Amino acid sequence: MSSESVPRTEQLVLLLTQHQEPLFRYIFSLVACEADARDILQETSLALYRKFDAYDASRPFLPWAYRFAYLQVQKHREKATRLPLLFSEDVLDLLTQDRAQMEPELDLRVQLLDGCLAKLTPQDKELVTSRYAMRQGAEEMMQRFAMSRRTLFRNLELLRQRLHECVTRQLQSEGLS
Amino acid sequence: MNLDSLIHAKLDGEITPEQHEQLEALLRDDWQARRLYLELADQQARLLQQPAVNTGRLKPPSVMSRTVRWRTSALIASAAAIALLAFIVWPRSAADNEATSNGVAMVSQTLDAEFAQATVRSGDTIAPGKLTLNKGLAQIEFFSGATVLIEGATQIEILSAWEARCVSGRVRVHVPPAAKGFLMHAPDVKLEDLGTEFALNVTGRESAVHVFDGEVIAHTKDKAPASLKVGMSLASTTASVSPQDFLPVSELQGLIRQREQGRFQQWQAWSEGASKDPRLIAYYTFQHAPDDRWDRLVSNFAAPQQKQRAGGAVGAQWTQGRWPGKEALEFKRPGDRLRLNLDGSYTALTMSAWVKVDSVDKKYNSLLLTDGYDNGEPHWQIYEDGSLMFSIIYRPEGVTRGGDWNQIYYSKPVFSADSLGRWHHIAVSYSNHSGEVIQYFDGAEVGREVFNQHQPGRPISYGPCELGNWGLPTQGHPFPIRNLNGAIDEFAIYAAVLSGAEIQSIFENGHLK
Repeated sequence: MSSESVPRTEQLVLLLTQHQEPLFRYIFSLVACEADARDILQETSLALYRKFDAYDASRPFLPWAYRFAYLQVQKHREKATRLPLLFSEDVLDLLTQDRAQMEPELDLRVQLLDGCLAKLTPQDKELVTSRYAMRQGAEEMMQRFAMSRRTLFRNLELLRQRLHECVTRQLQSEGLS
Repeated sequence: MNLDSLIHAKLDGEITPEQHEQLEALLRDDWQARRLYLELADQQARLLQQPAVNTGRLKPPSVMSRTVRWRTSALIASAAAIALLAFIVWPRSAADNEATSNGVAMVSQTLDAEFAQATVRSGDTIAPGKLTLNKGLAQIEFFSGATVLIEGATQIEILSAWEARCVSGRVRVHVPPAAKGFLMHAPDVKLEDLGTEFALNVTGRESAVHVFDGEVIAHTKDKAPASLKVGMSLASTTASVSPQDFLPVSELQGLIRQREQGRFQQWQAWSEGASKDPRLIAYYTFQHAPDDRWDRLVSNFAAPQQKQRAGGAVGAQWTQGRWPGKEALEFKRPGDRLRLNLDGSYTALTMSAWVKVDSVDKKYNSLLLTDGYDNGEPHWQIYEDGSLMFSIIYRPEGVTRGGDWNQIYYSKPVFSADSLGRWHHIAVSYSNHSGEVIQYFDGAEVGREVFNQHQPGRPISYGPCELGNWGLPTQGHPFPIRNLNGAIDEFAIYAAVLSGAEIQSIFENGHLK
């Protein structure tokens, strides 16, 4: 290993650290499953590490990284066994095209989401903490909140719906929509 | 289902293949649907990454500090670089998400115990709170090391691993040196145990204490702390205490042993009869043959005996089963398995087993799997979410590979923190005529389903197969690690569908108490 390659690796680590959040969101929107998205992010990071010599530092990093991520999503699709629950390639294509256009707006929405989370009722906050911070499974949550499976997922759906509406309202009131 | 609900089902991983097809069709045709999906998916990703809800439990990601450390190390080998890269990019923050329990004690043994809290069972971890025993005996082990035996109608309040209160009834406390200082409260008195054994009787508002061994400091209101030594008692006017009133711990163990022997014998008598069921293909009771010098033979006890259906243990070790004296085979390591070869072709099946699952730690955890996965071969496993998973495959003629013909049936999740590490009965039945799969857990039905593409009359066969692992998968398939983490002490395979009542009876005749 040459001494020059260390700063190069370091550079990639910094870029990945800075961009892991949008990169994860990008992958997640294509697979909608956290565990899969994390695995794909891992594969993507390794692919980026291997091909990092080809990266032109004068260009934005994310679009370059997205291409690798997209390839990894396709690879994941090829070896997956639960095929009926993954999007077909044509849908993946449509989603990535649309997402590229929506990206500035999605970034804004994410910023506004934090404000909306702060406004949740204590019950909803507990639900968010249990599901997203503590990563509790359905069974555990059903016990903890004494809910049936159906009610639990219905409540989660309503909660996310409220958050989505809250963000949309904020976006409109700021005249950004 | 409307678009919103389909998207949320997708995000929660609760979507069915049919619904997924519906969702895809909507996304394909409608840009507004895609827009809504992308907004909700992005929101979900954000929630998964950084819940900004301030609960006091969430810590900000510590990614930056790690980066700094990285930069200070000037020369790092590339392998280490990749490892560190992985570490930085995927902080799974194990510490933040680690499962926690607020337990301070556990119920270690019971005898004919009936708790007011109906859900308390032997082996349960208990959190601070009141525990009321209506009758029988229960031994509570505090995490500090102190052991409390409660007897008859007794109510205690567990305060912490180091402190409890006897509200009423009789308790016997044993405190090893490590738990010195354990405090037992009672009306008007606080007993500080200095490493000893003592008994306490609380009637009404009065307490009486007797020390069997060691020393106890009794703190009473208005009086200086009194030291109670071996053989000394502290009694009030109404409550009295005499050493004979209390059952010694050793006697409890004797009683429990007797009870277990009784259950074991009861099961043996039942099992003897059950082994003559003509519907049995094989019946393994894991009774170790004393003359088996290799120690690897697992006999088939189905009568009339078919020796060729005996099993051969690989790796798996003999261990104690449901009762002392009852043997079981324990599966722990990736290579552990019990090899079988079951000839014949059948029209129905029931598999019934007593298992102690220590952990559901793989995606698929094997119960019975045939080598490979050819037409008509059943596979029985525990899925990662703790559900029982039965599957059987029928590929159309000419197709030899591909998994889309796999008929998979899941029960509702049955293995969770609550049921792990204990003996449970599980069963599944399948008829190639009706196509119906019924799954059972501890005698109760936990799943019933008919595959939508079922075609009646296709035969079922086993051939070479194994319990507890899937070591010889389909050609070209990567070697999967699917070994069971647990033990099996009874496994029966029938060539017919047993009724729910029959499964219930197997459970009743085989459960621990």
